[in-house]
Amino acid sequence: MTIVVGYTPTPAGRAALMAAAGAAGERNQPLIVVNSSRGDALADPGFAQPADIAWASATLEEAGVDFSIRQSVRGREASEEVLTVLEEVAAELCVIGIRRRTAVGKMLMGSNAHRILMDAPCPVLAVKAPHHD
Amino acid sequence: MSESAATAGQSAAARPSVPRNIAEYGVCVFLTLLGVVVLVDALQLNNNRTGVDPLGPKPVPVFVGTVLIVLAVALAVAVSRGNQAEAEAGEDIDLNQRVDVKTVLLLLGVFVANIVLIDFLGWVISGGLLFYGSALALGSRHYIRDLAISAALSLATFYGFAIGLGVGLPAGILQGIL
Amino acid sequence: MENLQFLLDGFATAATPTNLLLALIGVVVGTAVGVLPGIGPAMTVALLLPVTYGLEPTGALIMLAGIFYGGMYGGSTTSILLNTPGESSSVVTAIEGNLMAKSGRAAQALATAAMGSWVAGTIGTLLIAFFAPIVTRFAISLGAPEYFAVMLLAFIAVTAVLGSSRLRGFIALTLGLTIGLVGLDSVSGQARLTFGIPQLGDGIDVVVVAVGIFALGEALWVAAHLRRKAVEVIPVGRPWMGKADLARSWKPWLRGTALGFPFGAVPAGGAEIPTFLSYITEKRLSKHPEDFGKGAIEGVAGPEAANNASAAGTMVPMLSLGLPTNATAAVMLAALTSYGIQPGPLLLQREGGLVWALIASLFIGNTLLLILNLPLAPMWAKLLQIPRPYLYAGILFFASMGAYAVNGSSFDLILLLALGLVGLGMRRFGLPVLPLIVGVILGPLVEAQGRRALQLSSGELKGLFGGVDVATGDFRFSLVAIVVYVIIALVLLWPLIFKLLRKLLPAKAESAIEDIAHEVEAQVHDPELHTRKELL
Repeated sequence: MTIVVGYTPTPAGRAALMAAAGAAGERNQPLIVVNSSRGDALADPGFAQPADIAWASATLEEAGVDFSIRQSVRGREASEEVLTVLEEVAAELCVIGIRRRTAVGKMLMGSNAHRILMDAPCPVLAVKAPHHD
Repeated sequence: MSESAATAGQSAAARPSVPRNIAEYGVCVFLTLLGVVVLVDALQLNNNRTGVDPLGPKPVPVFVGTVLIVLAVALAVAVSRGNQAEAEAGEDIDLNQRVDVKTVLLLLGVFVANIVLIDFLGWVISGGLLFYGSALALGSRHYIRDLAISAALSLATFYGFAIGLGVGLPAGILQGIL
Repeated sequence: MENLQFLLDGFATAATPTNLLLALIGVVVGTAVGVLPGIGPAMTVALLLPVTYGLEPTGALIMLAGIFYGGMYGGSTTSILLNTPGESSSVVTAIEGNLMAKSGRAAQALATAAMGSWVAGTIGTLLIAFFAPIVTRFAISLGAPEYFAVMLLAFIAVTAVLGSSRLRGFIALTLGLTIGLVGLDSVSGQARLTFGIPQLGDGIDVVVVAVGIFALGEALWVAAHLRRKAVEVIPVGRPWMGKADLARSWKPWLRGTALGFPFGAVPAGGAEIPTFLSYITEKRLSKHPEDFGKGAIEGVAGPEAANNASAAGTMVPMLSLGLPTNATAAVMLAALTSYGIQPGPLLLQREGGLVWALIASLFIGNTLLLILNLPLAPMWAKLLQIPRPYLYAGILFFASMGAYAVNGSSFDLILLLALGLVGLGMRRFGLPVLPLIVGVILGPLVEAQGRRALQLSSGELKGLFGGVDVATGDFRFSLVAIVVYVIIALVLLWPLIFKLLRKLLPAKAESAIEDIAHEVEAQVHDPELHTRKELL
């Protein structure tokens, strides 16, 4: 069984990664880190750059977790990418980062976190960014 | 390009992929047709030369039409010798992809709809539809967000440009409401 | 120094609160649109033209000047933050600029680009104020035969010098001439290529041509090959630089300006050659040659100044002769025409107040740009996150708004669509767009001047080479016209001449030329750098 974490280079995303590392260490299970971009804009702050990937790798190695990182750019929402991986590996736990959003913002922007919470076939651990970050 | 394409035999052997070339010959046909149209139109001109105008209105279009046909022939010769178009590159252009005909046709459809509707519906509605339709055609899937942006953009441009800066945009059926 | 007096009067016109506000709006909007990927200065000006339609000519020109410099600056911001320059003129800036940004010196790269642009723009504008009246004095002395020859030279220069294929350049030019033919003949009043459609009687508006070919054509072309990839964007703070960077930058700024301005002022000089020359010069002269290839500030400062000075240089032939030497100048000329101002040698005499106000607002716009952009750079970088569907939908939206606003008629939208399809086809088949636009603008003028020259010589062909001396009544060949025809012949025969020179030149000189060529090539041969074929 596997743990899947949706990672973005944001405070909430880093918090999710660290929580996932903890869970993977406790349960001694492999971890899959998913990061993606729809690739429809020239710049996407949610897409992990080499430095962000290096940080994630270093953090997970330090925690002694068996992990792999999957990055994709194929015009799909982050939620779709995470859900696909969840089903593919029959994951036991999904970890995501969430942030506060207004109702209108959620309506206009859509919420990846919301979609994963509703559609995931396994328990979902939602992590908030620490206040001081 | 080591071969000299001067002789017919060599150029036949060195001819690159056929489909690209067919499209290039299409350009030659287009130029020829355009040249013919320009010439036919020029021939119906009444070239009454006067002291004020010793040349008359006819020679220039005759010249342009002839040059179009000459260039069409020159291009056909160049293409048959292996001259290939260099399609334009850019930041958002991936030339390794096949031409996305569907997207282009959808965009053209949306654009034509705007032409038909703009005077009746007015800029706010038809311009909003133009943006919404184009965004969808280009692959956006945020239906509600797209609608909100379209409405905001067309209202902002109408109030900002038509009413604020005096640019002539039609109000259409919303006349009196806006 | 009557020019100085005129310039001060220009400042008095440009510095009213309303006009300052217009300049400010122009700079902000111009930069915002110029930063957007895929939109170069020419398209920025073309798309934003309609914004100025409701204004009176002075206000419109002042706003246009802001849009012009804003669009230029926006382009270089993009090329530093991403390694994908939108215009061929920004290719060189991107080389060292992006390397600096990657090594954590984005703030300094943006600062030296912004200040270099300001220095070059200010000196360039001073040079415009100095040279435009001189060139105008020369231009007024030209008669129809000389003017005819000079415009032919402009045709040949943009067609044969720029772009990779002369044949395709000439095809584009002839397409432009064809579009320029549409409408009632100015002398005889007969309809040409109107097909009985009354709206075509006045010809096809140059603004509609520019927007159709640049904006709509580009949007359709991108839609056909939409890239789906996110590139790395370097996070940026507020641009600033320290004393050491300033000390390394100021000489490159001045040298870049000196290189860029003359190239901009001659037909087909463009910005690529001076930016490359500036890069090579700075590399040779630098005290830190080892920094080149790792992000040398001189490699940003020099080329960026050269780029802006070249843009200023294009204003000299544009204002004094009505000759566009690059795409942006072509669109600016279209703008002048749409305000009811007739460009050409008489512009400075007839509309002196207006031209000096424009020159003054170039100073103002340039300075506003510096004040605004140093603090606003992080915000401009955010614009790169706009999804491509919105970007290109927005181009379609503003293009049709602009085309409709030209005459308030949906017929222009039909023309826009047709021209957009032509623009799409041209990009597909490697036809450069600049010769087409120049053909549309200059074609009717060339015909008119040619016919006037023949009228003066009572229809004899030698009327194109000179005129009758008023004093003696004898025919005299015009030296200017002959020289220009010789230059045209040289440009046309250049490939042959080049071959001959290679044979005659001693091997040493040849290898020196090749060294430079290799060096330039090595810099360009970065697969990430997509150079455009034209100066969009």
